[in-house]
Amino acid sequence: MGPKNFIIAIVLAVALSVGIFVATRVQTPPTLIAGLVLPATTPLPEFTLVDQSGNAVTPDSFRDQWDLVFFGFTHCPDICPATLQVLSAARDQLAAAGHEPLPRIVLVSVDPERDTPELIGQYVGYFGDGNLGITGSLDELRKLTAGLGIFFEKQPGDGKSYAVDHSAAVLLINPDGEFHGLFSGAHRIENYVHDLPLIMAGK
Amino acid sequence: MRSFFVIAAILMGACSAEPLPPLVATAVVVTRPVPGSGTSAAYLTLTNNSEQAIRITRVTSAEFESVQIHESTLEDGVARMRALPELRIPPRKSVTLQRGGKHLMLMRPDGSADIVSLQFFDGQSLVLSVDAMVETKAH
Repeated sequence: MGPKNFIIAIVLAVALSVGIFVATRVQTPPTLIAGLVLPATTPLPEFTLVDQSGNAVTPDSFRDQWDLVFFGFTHCPDICPATLQVLSAARDQLAAAGHEPLPRIVLVSVDPERDTPELIGQYVGYFGDGNLGITGSLDELRKLTAGLGIFFEKQPGDGKSYAVDHSAAVLLINPDGEFHGLFSGAHRIENYVHDLPLIMAGK
Repeated sequence: MRSFFVIAAILMGACSAEPLPPLVATAVVVTRPVPGSGTSAAYLTLTNNSEQAIRITRVTSAEFESVQIHESTLEDGVARMRALPELRIPPRKSVTLQRGGKHLMLMRPDGSADIVSLQFFDGQSLVLSVDAMVETKAH
């Protein structure tokens, strides 16, 4: 090896060492698996609905905690209970791992015709304590859903037996009561366990 | 999530010389109705051992007022649920009913039974009867 090649070899070796050193020191921001944080958070639209105890629910009701908000209906046997089970299991896993804060789980009924406060209260209570069930008039519900880009549509049926199509996303509302991010379906426990602490810590 | 309480309904005859029954149900799961909802879902795999397609056009249960064959879909961010007129199981094939897909929707429970019986009809003829344990609380 001539002196010129020797110098090149040393330069390359130094460059490699520096590269490795920098690579191990520079923190790449952790990436979210499924969650999406909005580029700009938005306040909730004005609306007045009721919770399972008959208390008024307004945009202010979403202040002071993180909320995971799902839109569904109690007569839905498949996707709605599966989604609430995922949210509830994710919350339990975060609690078991000592995470703070823990999000509240909220179900907004897109079937206010059948979902009385009592029914929705029994339903959300089944998936854990502290969950919030929301129902109310169709007009007030539309103010909330339209303001958040949530779609729902009652389907033709047989009297009291009908289905309601609805957006499958779970919305994340931050403690300032602003629409902060969302998870699209299909919902998986591990995605929430991974992403929620990152999103909540980034606020 | 806790493991589900699954009863696999094995309808194979004890004597190996007997032919397989035309339709067999396995991995049957019946969810416990969530309070307030009055609805359960049943999930299972139906295997057609015969050389002819089997059509399930009607399902009944003594423990529920009404049973419907449904399919959930998730498309363009929207969850939908539709009644299917029938379940067709091609010859020598299986059809799986599972969460987020095809399922039986069991409506208006008559009491709170721990065992649910399901009868599957092809037209007027009963092609399969299954008893299944209702799953323990999933949460």
